[in-house]
Amino acid sequence: MRKNKHRGIESLKSRYGLMFIAPWFLGFILFFAIPIIQSLLFSLSDVSLNNDGLATKFVGLQHYRYALLQSGAYTQTLGTAVTSLLYQLPIIVLISMVLALILNQKFRGRTFFRALFFLPVIIATGIVMDILFMTTGSMSDSTVNESLSGNMFDVSDIAAFLDLPAGISDYVEKAISNIFDLIWSSGIQTVLFIAGLQSVPTSLYEASKVEGATKWEEFWFITFPSLSQVTLLVMIYTMVEQFTSSRNPMIDSMYTLMKGGNYDETSAVLWFYFALVGIIMGILIWAYNRFLVKRWS
Amino acid sequence: MLTAKKSLSLTPAKSETPKTRARHLGKHAYSVFRIIILLAIGFVILYPLLYMITTSLRSRASFMNSVRVWLPEKLDMASNYKVALEALHYKEGLISSLKYEMVSAVLEICSCAIAAYGFARFKFPFKRLFMGMLFLTILIPDTMIIIPRVVNNSQLDFLGILALVNKLTGIDLRPNVLDTGWTFWLPSLLAAGLRSGILIFIYIQFFKSLPAELEEAAWMDGAGPIRTFIRIALPSSGVVILTVTVFSLIWHWNDYFLSSMYLTGDYPLAVWLTMMPKQLPTMGHPLVPSHPETMAILMAGCLVFILPMLIIYIFVQRWFIESIDRVGITG
Repeated sequence: MRKNKHRGIESLKSRYGLMFIAPWFLGFILFFAIPIIQSLLFSLSDVSLNNDGLATKFVGLQHYRYALLQSGAYTQTLGTAVTSLLYQLPIIVLISMVLALILNQKFRGRTFFRALFFLPVIIATGIVMDILFMTTGSMSDSTVNESLSGNMFDVSDIAAFLDLPAGISDYVEKAISNIFDLIWSSGIQTVLFIAGLQSVPTSLYEASKVEGATKWEEFWFITFPSLSQVTLLVMIYTMVEQFTSSRNPMIDSMYTLMKGGNYDETSAVLWFYFALVGIIMGILIWAYNRFLVKRWS
Repeated sequence: MLTAKKSLSLTPAKSETPKTRARHLGKHAYSVFRIIILLAIGFVILYPLLYMITTSLRSRASFMNSVRVWLPEKLDMASNYKVALEALHYKEGLISSLKYEMVSAVLEICSCAIAAYGFARFKFPFKRLFMGMLFLTILIPDTMIIIPRVVNNSQLDFLGILALVNKLTGIDLRPNVLDTGWTFWLPSLLAAGLRSGILIFIYIQFFKSLPAELEEAAWMDGAGPIRTFIRIALPSSGVVILTVTVFSLIWHWNDYFLSSMYLTGDYPLAVWLTMMPKQLPTMGHPLVPSHPETMAILMAGCLVFILPMLIIYIFVQRWFIESIDRVGITG
């Protein structure tokens, strides 16, 4: 009897839970699930517009074949998009983690620096950044980026002086010449890390102090493992952000194609692109879990 | 160990051993290192802003002198801004930014809170599956689904019911909501708006950290779940609401992708700003965007575009910065 009543409350509660998420679920179906399926269908069909709306004719993988094998334009942009992400991701994660660690400490002027470092969050999630750091399209010869960082450092000289291997010096050079872009892209990530740092239990730090751990050990054995989930979130956010940013050459070319009403081909290229992105993200997340998280926790 | 003892007995630094001295030195070195990093990154953040401001203030005559970039010989406070305001259609743009983007941001903030409360507080069947779907909405970008959304919005339908009515009776009840506010408001109302997934996720993290006892008590006292949510949970969630509001407002303000696809005119400011480099030549300005004159106008445009958000930020930054400490994300 009593158990029955208890179960009654539980089922009532679960019904209330479903009630709260019902609008979201409806939105998910209408504005997410259905469009995704449609977009897959578009990519496999010839789409044309007429008075009755949209006419589709199934043509199979023709658009995929055309976009990838015949046109040749996409494969190159695809390569650029993927390699630029691979070099941006670790730097952005590193910058935002270091910034968050510093801003989380107590020191004079902290409020000022926090207010300053959140400015990119306010300004930089969009077009202002596109205009500031324009590197694609018609503005390529006029990048502010160039005027900002071009004559400030001469990295190749330093690299030559230090006698670094070509791969590393290229990487560093690329990172430094884009340092403005990179730091301005790390705003939200810093915020996420700071929020994550709050949930590390302080008792762990106290215990490590008693044990006589150095700050360095404290970071590697407490802070970093506790942040592993937030780091994952930051990585995912950064990847999604960089892959869909309008400064990404791939998205830029898609946008033009889409505006021209070329729905079927756009859908095909987008599906291929994001399938590839999904695979890359999957591998990175797997590697991260396998080699970093497992090792430290 | 040594430092701990010392701080307990409160002895002055006279009895310093070499080891503690090394530690002190390390501490000083670290704070120097910290201030260097802070200043360097602060510089990187401020530099483009200052660049924008000075460039936007350069007068036409000063473009000739390419050496003096930072302090233009003659400041021209108005003319670049005047052109920029005109090119941005500032008044109309501002109104449609408010009408389309800001209204949908507010709707999104509310609807996401409701969904997140359901996820954070209740157990229900297939919850893991639903959470998986939520995660999917974070991962899959709008670019993927924008084309079908545009097509569907031109003939708004509910699960094919109206299309069926059309087939059977020949009456077409499907409204075209493109170019109206509903294109923006409907998804936001159903928590499927701009980056709603991330907002819901932030809300969930916070609601989970709220002590449940108060809500349980209200529940026992016979308050319904909606009442409990509005009267108990929401009032103690100011912190997270502020964070979410700031994010949502900014993302909506900067969104030009969706609005340029949904609208054919009456654009919000963000769209006008993206069109500016192409629009300036038609207004009789140099064709090459790299021309300093165009650059000056573009920078003035950027500044007047971010101005409203900047003003809001200046007002809320105090609470926003504190709130981030208290939202707490565990992943």
